[in-house]
Amino acid sequence: MGQILNDLRLIPKFANNPGLKSDIPVEDIVKNHLEIIILSLLLEKPRCGYDLIKEIIARYNVMISQGTVYPLLYSLKREGIIHMESMKGDMKIKNYSITGDFRYTVEKKIDGFIKTEEYILNSIRNGEIYV
Amino acid sequence: MVKSTFKNSIDGLSDLFKDETDIPGGSVILVTGVEGGLKSGLVFNIISNYLASNDKYALYATLEETEESHSRNMKSLGIKKHDRLHIFDYMDVRHEWKNEEPDFLKVTEEMINFYREKYADFSIFAFDSLNALYSLSSNLNIRKQMYHFFTMLRTRKLTSFLIMETHSPDRHLLIGTGGYMERPEFFLADGIIELGIVEDKESVKRYIQIRKMRGVNHNMEKHQILVGKNGLMVVGSIY
Repeated sequence: MGQILNDLRLIPKFANNPGLKSDIPVEDIVKNHLEIIILSLLLEKPRCGYDLIKEIIARYNVMISQGTVYPLLYSLKREGIIHMESMKGDMKIKNYSITGDFRYTVEKKIDGFIKTEEYILNSIRNGEIYV
Repeated sequence: MVKSTFKNSIDGLSDLFKDETDIPGGSVILVTGVEGGLKSGLVFNIISNYLASNDKYALYATLEETEESHSRNMKSLGIKKHDRLHIFDYMDVRHEWKNEEPDFLKVTEEMINFYREKYADFSIFAFDSLNALYSLSSNLNIRKQMYHFFTMLRTRKLTSFLIMETHSPDRHLLIGTGGYMERPEFFLADGIIELGIVEDKESVKRYIQIRKMRGVNHNMEKHQILVGKNGLMVVGSIY
């Protein structure tokens, strides 16, 4: 899983490169894969909605609206994939983390996502399919 | 499955409509009235019961209360929440972003986009309330942004109920902005449902009245609205 997360962190190198930024639709990629990104961030450590949005800005230079992140968190919570715990000292701040039973499923999902992306990228890069 | 209608979602509500008419799908309805007039309860009750006879999804967005508090209040009115009626309460956004003053209209639009992508049958939206939105938004150009907001809801074909508290129904005044002025919401809305209270020497009654419903042949009379064991009910004309 560590390698997977390191791979995801490579993206800002492109996002912050002025020469490449306009050509690479980082914002679209992040928005289209927001659930996977949020799950990967929550695998690292518990976070609240505010922390998740700030972390996505820091890593990918993309601002995701609160109107997208919070409903997604509530939806994941409703499905039991994540659970909420109030922070010590400030009961109003809600930190979310992956539910124990779903940890393995989430890791597999992220792994599957990366392998699929790599498969597609390799086929584009090389003009043929590598398995 | 019985054909879903809004007017049959609450006992007696159909008396306010003539012929086979109903609240038109995809229209934006303003629900106005004084405090304690059952605005939130009416909207929540209509949506929750309406969902029982179809496969649609609905979102009730409240800036006024927490989800827990709202749910408790609805339960006290005898209203059962349908599973496909989701509540979003903005409280986490308000608390965690209190130093950055979020654009709540933009947050709401993005939230609607999220629900449309997640649920193909997401077709009903409620917002409680415009007064709270105005109170929390210091740089809001109401006329311009409300036009955009109403247009956005119509473009997405959402049947929308927007709650707004008013002092005087006759003057269309709004509480919460520190002044009295004509409100663009009344011109922009496809329909206006008003909830109020009338008093005489012997009694105090809550009423419901359809003041406007574009393209719908409706009754103009004020009807009494009561809280029953299983939610709200509309009874006969108040006079």
